[in-house]
Amino acid sequence: MKYKRKQDRTWERKVRRTMAGREEGSGVVVEHVYKSFGKDAVLKDVNFLIRPGEIFGVVGNNGSGKTVLMKCICGFLKANKGRILVNGQQVGKDCDFPDSLGVIIETPGFIPDISGYQNLKILADLKGRIGKQEIRDTIRRVGLDPKNRKPVAKYSLGMRQRLGIAQAIMENPQVLILDEPFNGLDRNGAAQMRELLKELKQQGKSMLLASHNAQDIRELCDRVHDMEDIWKMEELG
Amino acid sequence: MVKIRQLFLAAIANFRRWRRNPQILLAFGLGFVICFLLSNKVILFAQQHDTNLQMLEPFIWTFGDANSIMLISLCLLLLFADIPNLGNEVPFLLVRMDRVTWMLGQILYMICATLLFVGFILLSGCILSGSHTYLANLWSDTAAILGYSQLGTKIAIPAFVKVLELSFPYRCTGHIFGLMLGYSVFMSSLILYLNLWKGSYGMIGGIAFTAFGFLMKPEFLLKWLHLPQERVRIANIIFGWISPLNHATYYMHNFGYDNLPRLWVSYLFFAGGSLILFWLSMLKMRTYAFCFSGTQGK
Repeated sequence: MKYKRKQDRTWERKVRRTMAGREEGSGVVVEHVYKSFGKDAVLKDVNFLIRPGEIFGVVGNNGSGKTVLMKCICGFLKANKGRILVNGQQVGKDCDFPDSLGVIIETPGFIPDISGYQNLKILADLKGRIGKQEIRDTIRRVGLDPKNRKPVAKYSLGMRQRLGIAQAIMENPQVLILDEPFNGLDRNGAAQMRELLKELKQQGKSMLLASHNAQDIRELCDRVHDMEDIWKMEELG
Repeated sequence: MVKIRQLFLAAIANFRRWRRNPQILLAFGLGFVICFLLSNKVILFAQQHDTNLQMLEPFIWTFGDANSIMLISLCLLLLFADIPNLGNEVPFLLVRMDRVTWMLGQILYMICATLLFVGFILLSGCILSGSHTYLANLWSDTAAILGYSQLGTKIAIPAFVKVLELSFPYRCTGHIFGLMLGYSVFMSSLILYLNLWKGSYGMIGGIAFTAFGFLMKPEFLLKWLHLPQERVRIANIIFGWISPLNHATYYMHNFGYDNLPRLWVSYLFFAGGSLILFWLSMLKMRTYAFCFSGTQGK
């Protein structure tokens, strides 16, 4: 108990130190988050923060709770305890789903019988913040052709993954939640996407990345959170 | 304005799943087949007696009956079995709106889809009525024979004198359509709420709701409680008030001389019931845990 209180104080000091002196409210703060499904506790006192311009990696075996953690940050699941702040907004209190958030949760899904461009247009129309040109530019940025009229049903897994990344970044969000973003991409494709993520990092985006691929984690992440060992915060870069 | 656009886009996103979707095709196909089988009796009767038909009469005599409404509403279970749709494209929509807007989109989709389905059944009834029909707002010879002789009762076609004398085909069709729609929206809202509450309980709830309507018949009560036949009128009135299926049945209403519910009471019953269930669904949505298909279970 004594140990835990000390941990809490250390954590609070760390949050205060990190938040001080930078643009208020940007990035992600995960504080004492617990999530269980019935008796099955998946997240136990998870704490970390992601600063702007930082890629934070999450590693762990299947079923260790990586996706649950990401869903909690996105607002799809409500944590039983603790709080999550995204760009200064408390998820589930100030907002249902954080504003300025780009997401890929595993296999990206699209309306199969229309083209990639049309799919992104529908999503962009929901907020109405970007126009056709921005959508086309983003599609080109991930290595796809915006003029391609082929329905998404006929896309390869890699093309769908690229389109998924395009939908996540097209509205220029401050925070990106990327669960296995390189799934289905060939070696070149993965390298291209890694470069894109580095570019976004340079622009000051905060990113949470889950990947089974050690190379992705080693090359991209500044820090890594191991889901198997909740107190271990390994500094890589 | 943005919220309204999001609401409509959330509803439209559900309709986009309809294309080449076997579940939707099956629901509509089954609806057409049930409509054909049920209305065939009226059409065959007209052909055998060589009498004409008002175009809407097959629909009126078919869906003026509680059992037909019950059968056709079962197709809605197919249509809304997996509502709310949580395909793996939904996370992309959700992060661009809020829970309330998304939920309102689902409700709008359900109302529009039910309206489309009931409209499809009405259209099917008109198409199936054949070529010997007319459009005028007058009851046909077939209706007169069925109503004034005992033939209608014998072959279980609900062409009652009170319907013929106190209404006209178009008005009657409007009310049957409205009652069917009310019943269907009420049932769909129950499916939605139960699915939000606990996984696939919506399907079980929908079947239980249908079974409740089916069992709420005076004949069953008389048999179970061994009551004399004279009590059938009282049982009829009680069930006319408490059974949703009886609320959806046109002739089970007060036309000015009995104690059954009036039509506006039934509309209010369905609207109120649906609104309560939608409100409960909205409350449930506040803490609802999204589990998308195509992603991990948790």
